[in-house]
Parts: sequence; structure tokens; C-alpha cells
Amino acid sequence: MKNTDQFCGLCEKTVRASSRREFLEKAGLGFGMLGAGYLLARDADAATWTARASNPFAPKPPDFPAQAKNVIFLFMHGGPSHVDTFDPKPLLAKLNGKTPPPSFGKVDFQFTKMEKAPLLASSRTFRKYGQSGIEISDLFRQTAQFADDMAVIRSCYHDGFTHVLGQNWMNTGWARVGRPSMGSWVVYGLGNESENLPAFMVMLDGGIKAGAPAYGSGFLPAMYQGTVLRTDGAPILNVNRPEDIGAGEQRRMLDLLNWYNERHLETRQEDSQLAARMNSYELAFKMEMSVPELANLSQETVATRKLYGLDETETAEFGTQCLMARRMVERGVRFVQLYSGGNKGGSVGWDGHNQCDQNHTVMARRVDRPIAGLLADLKARGLLESTLVLWGGDFGRTPFTNGVEGGGQGQAGRDHNPYGFSVWMAGGGIKGGKVIGATDEIGLRAVEDKVHMHDLHATMLTLLGLDYRKLTYHFQGRDFRLTDVGGQNNLAPRLTQG
Amino acid sequence: MRTLLLLVVCAPAFAAPVYEAARAILENRCAVCHGQAQTSGLDVRQRETILKGGKRGPALIPGNADESLLYKAVVHVGDLQMPPAKPLTAEEIEVIRAWINEGADWEGPAIGSKWWAFQAPVKPPVPEVSDTAWSRSPVDAFIWAKLGEKSLKPAPAADRRTFIRRASLDLHGLPPDPADVNNFVNDHAPDAYERLIDRLLASPRYGERWGRHWLDVVRYADTGGFETDMYYRNAWRYRDYVIQSFNADKPYDTFVKEQIAGDELWPDDLELAGGYEIPPTKLKHLEARIGTGMYTIGPTYHEAALNGAQLHYEWLSDAVDTTGEAFLGLTLACSRCHDHKFDPLTQRDYHRMMAIFAGSEEREIPVISKMDLFGFKSGYPANLRVEEYKEAIERIEKRSRDRATREIEARFSPEAVQAYEVALKDRTPKQMELAALLEQALTVAGLRENASGKMFVPQYTAQEKDDRERLIYELGKASLEARPTFPSATVLAHADVVPDVYMTSRGDFRPAGPKVSPGFPRVLGGVHDLEESANGPFVPERRRALALWLTSPDHPLTARVIVNRVWYWHFGRGIVGTPNDFGRQGEAPTHPELLDWLARNFVESGWSMKKLHRMIMLSNTYRMSSQSDESNFRIDPSNQYLWRMNRQRMDAEALRDSVLDVAGVLNLQMGGRPVIPPLTTEEKAVMWAPNQWPVSLDPMEHNRRSVYLYVKRSFPFPMFAIFDEPDTAVSCPRRDVTTVAPQALALLNSEFMERQARNLAARVQKTYPDDRDAWVRGAWQLALSRDPSPQEKEKALSFLDAASTKLDKLCLVLLNTSEFLSID
Repeated sequence: MKNTDQFCGLCEKTVRASSRREFLEKAGLGFGMLGAGYLLARDADAATWTARASNPFAPKPPDFPAQAKNVIFLFMHGGPSHVDTFDPKPLLAKLNGKTPPPSFGKVDFQFTKMEKAPLLASSRTFRKYGQSGIEISDLFRQTAQFADDMAVIRSCYHDGFTHVLGQNWMNTGWARVGRPSMGSWVVYGLGNESENLPAFMVMLDGGIKAGAPAYGSGFLPAMYQGTVLRTDGAPILNVNRPEDIGAGEQRRMLDLLNWYNERHLETRQEDSQLAARMNSYELAFKMEMSVPELANLSQETVATRKLYGLDETETAEFGTQCLMARRMVERGVRFVQLYSGGNKGGSVGWDGHNQCDQNHTVMARRVDRPIAGLLADLKARGLLESTLVLWGGDFGRTPFTNGVEGGGQGQAGRDHNPYGFSVWMAGGGIKGGKVIGATDEIGLRAVEDKVHMHDLHATMLTLLGLDYRKLTYHFQGRDFRLTDVGGQNNLAPRLTQG
Repeated sequence: MRTLLLLVVCAPAFAAPVYEAARAILENRCAVCHGQAQTSGLDVRQRETILKGGKRGPALIPGNADESLLYKAVVHVGDLQMPPAKPLTAEEIEVIRAWINEGADWEGPAIGSKWWAFQAPVKPPVPEVSDTAWSRSPVDAFIWAKLGEKSLKPAPAADRRTFIRRASLDLHGLPPDPADVNNFVNDHAPDAYERLIDRLLASPRYGERWGRHWLDVVRYADTGGFETDMYYRNAWRYRDYVIQSFNADKPYDTFVKEQIAGDELWPDDLELAGGYEIPPTKLKHLEARIGTGMYTIGPTYHEAALNGAQLHYEWLSDAVDTTGEAFLGLTLACSRCHDHKFDPLTQRDYHRMMAIFAGSEEREIPVISKMDLFGFKSGYPANLRVEEYKEAIERIEKRSRDRATREIEARFSPEAVQAYEVALKDRTPKQMELAALLEQALTVAGLRENASGKMFVPQYTAQEKDDRERLIYELGKASLEARPTFPSATVLAHADVVPDVYMTSRGDFRPAGPKVSPGFPRVLGGVHDLEESANGPFVPERRRALALWLTSPDHPLTARVIVNRVWYWHFGRGIVGTPNDFGRQGEAPTHPELLDWLARNFVESGWSMKKLHRMIMLSNTYRMSSQSDESNFRIDPSNQYLWRMNRQRMDAEALRDSVLDVAGVLNLQMGGRPVIPPLTTEEKAVMWAPNQWPVSLDPMEHNRRSVYLYVKRSFPFPMFAIFDEPDTAVSCPRRDVTTVAPQALALLNSEFMERQARNLAARVQKTYPDDRDAWVRGAWQLALSRDPSPQEKEKALSFLDAASTKLDKLCLVLLNTSEFLSID
């Protein structure tokens, strides 16, 4: 057994800022103030305290100057194959049909016994793009036009070899349920800049395997959870008034409600929760306007709609999500997450166990143009500088075929591979045209400059101006971080240099 | 045989500790050079300096003698051989080895044991109170004394209307009935308050409310979470067990014993044979076993079953974490990966606790008598008919598949078909190539098993169609008679083999250290391992030992932790502000003497929850108004010292139940399978597999109390998620209270609220036909337990006067008011 003392930096005793706590209570802000632990650890000024007490979403200054203000996270649900997209492996073509040489070692997969699984060459054509010459496959030939804006990280890894574990790792930095998602942490740390929209919004094209916990708030207060924005029906739950209540009538109802609440408050002035509740009705009323306005794409020009692929059946759905993402960022939404490949009518998403190439051709066709459109549009509007775009999925896929001898699955499929895979980032202060890390020669495992999910999350938080070691929440007797005890390979300093 | 075993467990003979012997050896045989002299930088006079080591690095790895330099040196493995002159004796070496492997403690029982929460509570004297009129109970005396110390003045008593509303929402999670409010306000008998509290405690609504509190603590859910979100078909029996236990005022020590070791404590009653009726004693013990269901409802993901050892380790972790937080009020979870940084809990303690659960596993047991069980078996012909009809229907479907397959194959060469029929792994490259296109065509048509493509849509001939429809009808009829499964409960039982537990590294499930014996945390007196017979036919009854230890009257934590929870649920704040953490990272008690007095008194009163509620709720402290006071507020703005009652917001369940109740449609049916209410299209759209939400078909069911609603781990019920329902991943000690716009949207615009506002309007209109004044008064009484003021009524009536505005809109406004939502 190892003595673990030396590497559990998380458990350093936190200094209890008793004087500050006392100040808070004197100021009447109460013990129940949310996120006090974090703010106590940060040297926030009195104005921040007061703002936070009346509105826990009040924008908060970052720990240090931020490169990025917003995040758009494009999540390819099911797990896109890195060796067919952003990580070319010429050796695979040479070894096609042969079992992996023992020198690559042995790891466990969900369905596949790798020593019996023949390697599978990619059917894709890789080309060098931009001045930087990053090699990207023809599945993403339009997105690849932005190679010089991108940092492709080819050495990501975690150890969750099934979807839910992978999705939890990517979203919450932990395999099991119960931890807050990235978006929740970011809003907890930075607050909301929008006055009438939620700070963390999620768009789905069907159900996702990890379910609500993938964008949930875990042990953080529920107010930090992601809000699902829909393109069918009410864009946000309950944002549409009941059919028989018009805006004028509801206004009269709210005025009456306010009148009663004010009487109630008269003898309870000290209770900031009651005032906050009254405010929440005004905000709700504003959201009834602002959310449909956000979701209404009719003001967008034909050219813009075309840019995102709204004119084509295959790209219209994800294109709509991408266009909404830009509109959300414009309106100050802090963290936007878009899913491609959710379950609607039995779709498997990016989960190419069977005929991986065919699957990815269909899936990439749906997202390539919209993503390129999003990057182009953000750039044209000067939003890319302050918006971090992150692309990734549950994990990558195996360089060999899926499930021979394993689950009896089909030919030319690829199994899940969490041991080495690619993500890319663009915008948000990143100086593009970079490739970080590498997998081994067949793309089985990350080997150079390895980037764990904790490192990825540390990178994101740093770009947002948050110190990932200080962003903590006290729960179950200790201070939790998004990055747990990891994050040492924080890429932010390298990514932001020319 | 049984008696013998019980004796062994009840009177454990403990092995002697080794730290003293080990320290003596170090002092006598090593410190000459490695003491003050610190030869080669090593000082053996302190544990820390041995850990730090000398020039050669750390001399000690607690828990692992074989890798420790110190041990290697004395046993002469490797180049370093110590002591140089005279080697240690075999006996001394064995002491060193055992000492290191047991964690190399320096002193007993453990460092840090002086922490207040680890000392048995001593009943303090009740403070003298100058104002005897104010002090109604010992609780008041403690509170009064502290208020005096802090120069705080207690708030005056709340009026009776406020009090009955507070007490009803507190004990039932429902507002009081207007008639009851009226009776109480006009009840001038000296025991009016006593009778009110007793009446509320006697109602089954109490168990539903307080059982729900406990379900938070034990991370209750009906499913396992993750992608497939397995359904725990008997979780509800545990939920009902909890509700019944509260309603029956089951002594808390019994409640603890049943949940941890109901099977081991009453092992003679596991056999349900002997008559048509199960005798009452056996029913009682069956109920006790259902209590162990607590350990079968944690989060589990489907694919964890791919690795048995990992699955078992995760289950053990969940058991230890939940036991620690729920019963001990300690965050043991920290010490899964390493020794606790703040509390004297070691990784070894954690694994000793794991070993207590290691020999247990989940099992489904019948909850009917053997006679009834045999009755199920005798009804087998209907079960067989069901099987026959299913198979016949499948044969027709297969015929259609076969036809479609042959049609596709006909479009390919015989060689391709032949190649396709060769098993995938045996195909030559040529055959691979030949089979590929056919395989693809079959996949697209949905005709290959396990391949993801379109679903195959069978085409039937007219005859097949007729046959199939007839068979489906017959299947339905047979299903009505068939009894495929008997009623069962999911409980803990003994595994056939008791797996050893080993120390692990950083929380990974793979063994990475020596074997660990079962035991309790050392700092709490569990210095020694549980004594167990090494041979013989006995199954070790480790949970039984744990249950008895936890419920011993002098246990430092068990009673304190539960009385603190009860206090928190009554006042919205615990005496210890962190109900799941009595360790050093938790908050210090605001009233330590009161906590100890309550804990002691609780045990002396037979661990009775209802007596505890009575004690608290009949105090003047509980009766205080929630109104603020300027001078008090300046001294203690967060009301730590309880100079007034805390104002609380209704939680998710109380809110939904109260709305249904006020609307007059709450269905008070108790118990049974979880109720699955309908969802809107928007709500359902984000679910991974919408077929995992089979809505209860009886609409009456949809208005059942919230505690009976389906708790699906991967999909929290939307209205509850907005109102801070706890995450079911781990034990929840206290709920967040947030105030955000989505709550306002849900209360203003949701179909649910709209419907209930209409129900409330219809209810008052039916009671008082054609009397608008009475409508307003009736609605106020139902929702707010009071009459409207003249201005409020006037305002309401002028709102109703406006064109097209109906009473239901006013009712909706009423159900949105701060006053309705908050508890003064």
C-alpha cells in the first residue's frame, strides 16, 4: 500500500475565514448564503458579498484576467472515433486485418478482446489544413478550414469504458454520479451575466445515456443545474403561459401577487429570501419574453441560416442548435452545451460498434457544416475571442474491429476507447494551429503529453479566469473540486501563447 | 448451535494491541543510534520521524511491512541489516511486522480521540431559569441560558393560527384543515397544545412526512441510475417499512438494528412455513429483514456487472459511506482512499468497516407464507400457457424474418450467401469480402441480431395476421390468470462465501495491501478486530455486532446524531449545523449541553421519536414567533441561538402535497408500488429511454402523496428537481433552499398548478354557491389557514371584477404567495 499523503493536495486543511464569516452575518447575509465557502476562500470585496447575498447568480470577478467569458461545448454522444477524424494513423493501413502487435499492451474493452480483434484501417482521407498543417479527415473538411484557430488535443484519456462512465468523466470529472457538471461549476464560480436567461443551457437532439446528471448540479445547489432549451414545444419548461392566460392577464395576476407579497414582507423585512422570491417572479415574467425571443430564428438572415446549414435536411437540426448557441452567447449565457447523437427513435448516435465508417459519415454530415458555420459566425462577429468552443465526446474508439469473439457485433465496427482520444478547442484566447500530445502508433493509448479529464477541465477553468485549485465546494466533510487532485497538466498557458 | 454462536458474538474476546510492544522494541533496540543521535538521519522516537525516514528515504509504510525499510532491515532482506550487532528475535520481528501491518499506530486507542463527538455524552444538569413562566421544559432552560449569555431576548409566542399551521406542516407536510384551525384557536383547555401535538403524531400522515426525511438520509431511489437505470422492484417495501416504523414510534435503536442486521438479529424467524397466516412474531421479524433493504437501493450501473470484484467493492463502499453518514454522522468516505485528513479515521478503519459487510449480499425473499408460496406453484398451468402463446407468436414473427432474409439473399450470389453463413471468426479474407455487402443489406433491413440498424418491420400474410391476433388475445387472457412471480422483498442475506477484504490503494478496487479483519473505527473504541471463530460451520454475524455496538446506550454518536437530525427537521437548523458530519470539518454545536441532554434523555425514554417530538414541540422555544427583533438581529442575525423561530420554505414534497390538499384532491391511499405520474411532452423529451417511465394508468393515483412517487435516479421528477430535491447519489443531510425563476415559472405556468387552481376554485364555489365573499374567505382559509383582511378581500374582489377573470386565476395567485410557500 502506498502512503498517499504526499499526493492528496485536495485535503489540505482549509483555513476558515472566521472574521469574514462574522462580517457576513453582521451584514445580515445569513448563514445559508450559497457558495460562501468558495467566496471566503477568494478575497472578494464587500460589494461582491452584498451582490451575491441578494442574487447568488450575480456576476463575480474571476481569479485572474480571463481569456474566455463563455463556453460552447459540442458533445458528440456515443463517442466519435479519433482515428477517423482528428488523429491520423498511417500504420493502421499497413496492419489492416492483423491483430494488434503485443508491443501495444493489453487493455479491457466493453465488448472486444483486443488480442483477437483485427486492426481496422480508416477509410477516411486525411489532409493538412491551414498554415499550421494540422491533419484532419474529410469527415470534418469544413470544420478543418479553421485549423489555424484550433488546438487539437490528441492525448486525452480516462478509464470509463462504457457510455455513462465516459459521459460522466467528460462532464463531471468523475465516473460515477453525484458530482456537479462543468457548466454548474463555471456558473457557481462566475455567476450569470444575463439578466433574463439561465446561465447554463443545454440543447439535446434526443435522450442521452447519462441522463440529467450529465448536466446536473450534483452536490452543488440545484440552481446551478443546466436548463434544457428545446426546439419543439415550450423552449424552457413552463416558460409558455397556459393557453387561457394572456400576457395582460398574467401581468394583472403578478401585480396582485406582488401586492399580497408586499403586505407579507412588511413585517418580515429582514428576510432576504422573501425579497428574492418576489424578484424571481419578475425575472420569470421577463423570461416569458426573452426565451421565445431567443428561440425565434426568424430575424436571422437567409445567409446566416444557410451558413449554419438550416437549408438542408441533414444539417438543419444541429445547425439550429449551433445558431441558438451563438444567440445565447450574444445574450450573455455563460455555458452552452449542445449534444449530437441523442436517442430519438432508436438512433445510436456516434456509437459506431457496427459499420463505424458508415455511422460516422452520417453523423459527421449532420454536424460538420453547422460547426464550421458556428466558428465562422463567431469569428465574424468578434465573439470567438471570448468564446471557448470545445468539441469532444464520451471517448474515442478502438483501432481494431469491435467485438469479434466478444459480443457478436458486426464487421468494421469500432468499440469504445477511453485510453486515448481527441478533443479540440478553439477561441477563448487560444492561439490556434496547435496539436497537443499523441497516441501510440495505432491510436490505442495516449502516450505523449497525456491529458486527463482533470487537465482538460483545469485548462477550461483557467481560460475562464478561475483558479481550478481554489474553485471548491464543501461537501461530505471536504472541499471538492471539479478537477479533484488532478489538473497538473493544465494546458492553458501553452494554448494561449503564439 | 445458534445459542452457542450468539454467546460468542455477545462476549467478544479481544486480541492484545501491539503498538506498546513495538514501541518498546524500537526504544530498546534501535533508539541507541537512531534516537537523539539520529544516525543516518533516522529518528525512531516519533511515528512522524520514522515515516519521514533518513538518508535512505521513508522507513515505514503503514499497513505494509514487506515494503517497509524498517521491517526489511530487521528481517535482513536486502543490503541493510539491523541492528548490526544482535539481530531481533523471531518474536520481536513478528511484533514489528504485525504492528506495521496494522497501521503502525503510535498510541491507543487512536490519536485525536479527545474530540467532543467521540466522548460518550454525559447528561448535564438543566440550567436554572430566572423566568420560570417562560421555561416550559428543559429544552427551554438550555436555550434561555444561552440567550442570556448572549444578551438576546426570546421572541414572544406565535399566535395559535401560526402555531397550528407550523406544527401541521412540520409533522404532516400538509396545512391544517380550516375546521381544525378553528377548534384549536378556540380551545381554551390547559392541555390544548398537548392534545394538538398528540393528535398530529397519531396520524399516519406523520410517518409519510418524517419517513421522507429519513429517505433523504439513506439516498432512497426506486432505480439504480445510469443508462439502463435498473428498476429495484422491491425498493418500495423498504420505503413503506420506514413510514410504518415512524408511525409505530418504533424505538430508534430497533430501527437501526433492523436496517443493519434484521436478518442476523432474528435469524430463527426466516422460515415462513406453518399455516396459512404468518404469525405476528414472524411478521415482525420479516419486517425487520425488510429494513436491511436500505443496503440494496444504492446507485448501481449496469455494466459494473462486467467486473464482479469491482461491483462488490463499489457496493461495499456505498454500504460503509451510507452507514457512516446516516448512523454515525461521520464522513467515512474520505478514508476510502487515504487516512482521513481531519478526523482520526484511517483507511484501515474504512476497510475494517467494509469487511463487516463483505459476507452479505442482496437476496429476494418471499413475503408470503409457505402455504401461499405453494399456492403460486400450484397455479403453474396458466404460467405455461403464457409461455406457449409467447413462443407461438414469436414463431410467426420468425417466419416473416426468414422470408425477408431469403428475399434479400436471393439478390446475392450463392457464394456470398455461403460465405455469410460461415462464422465471422472463421471467414477467409475472400469470404469476408463476399459476405460484406449481404451483411450490410441485412443490417439495413434490421435482420441481423445485435447489429444496430433500422428495426425490422414484419410483414404477415392474412392467415398469419389472423393467427397472431388470436394468439395475442389468448396470451392476454392467460396473463390475467398467470402468477409468474410471488410477492417478495429485497433484503440482505449471507453470501455462501465470505470474500476477504484487503487494503487498497487510492480507492481502486484491486487489493494492494494486507488482508483486513472486520472491526469498527478505532477512535470510537474499535481497537480490536471482531472476534470470529476461524473454523466451524458458523456464518460470521458481523452486521449484528455492528448494530449492537451502534445502539449501545453509551455510544458517543448514535443518539446525538439522530436527535440533532430531529432538531434540524423541526427548526431548519441543527444544533450541529452539519448533520452528517460530527467530525472536525463539521460545525461546532451551538448548544452542546442541550445536545447531550437530549441525546441522554432520548435513550432513557426508550429511543422514542414521538416522545422527542413532544418534548421539542411543546417547548416555548418551538412556540416562539418567527418575527424579527432589531436588537437581537444586530447580535445574532442568523439566529444561531434561537431567539425566534426560523422561517422556512416548504420543500418540494410539502409544496406538491399541500397544493393537492388545498385543492381538495389529495389521495391519501398509503403504500405500495411507486406511482408514476404523467409528464408533459417537453419533460419527457430529455429522457434517455422514455419507455422507462410507464405512467400509472389510474388517474386517481396521480394525486397520491409525493413520498409514493417514483424516484428515478437518472431522471428527477421535474417539479421536484426545481425545488431542491436531493440528489440520490449519496446520503443527503440537509436540503438546499434556493430561490430561482424556474420555480416561479413552474408555479405560475405548469399544467399541474393550473389544474389544481381550478380544483380549488371549484371546491370553494361548490361549498358556497353564488357568494363571492365566501369564495375568497374559503380559499384563504384553505390555503393560508386564516381569513383575508378587509383590504385583501377587496383587492381580490376587484381582481375578480375585471372582465374574463375567473376565480381559478385568483386561486393560482393565492398558491403563489410567499405566505403560502413559507412556514412562519
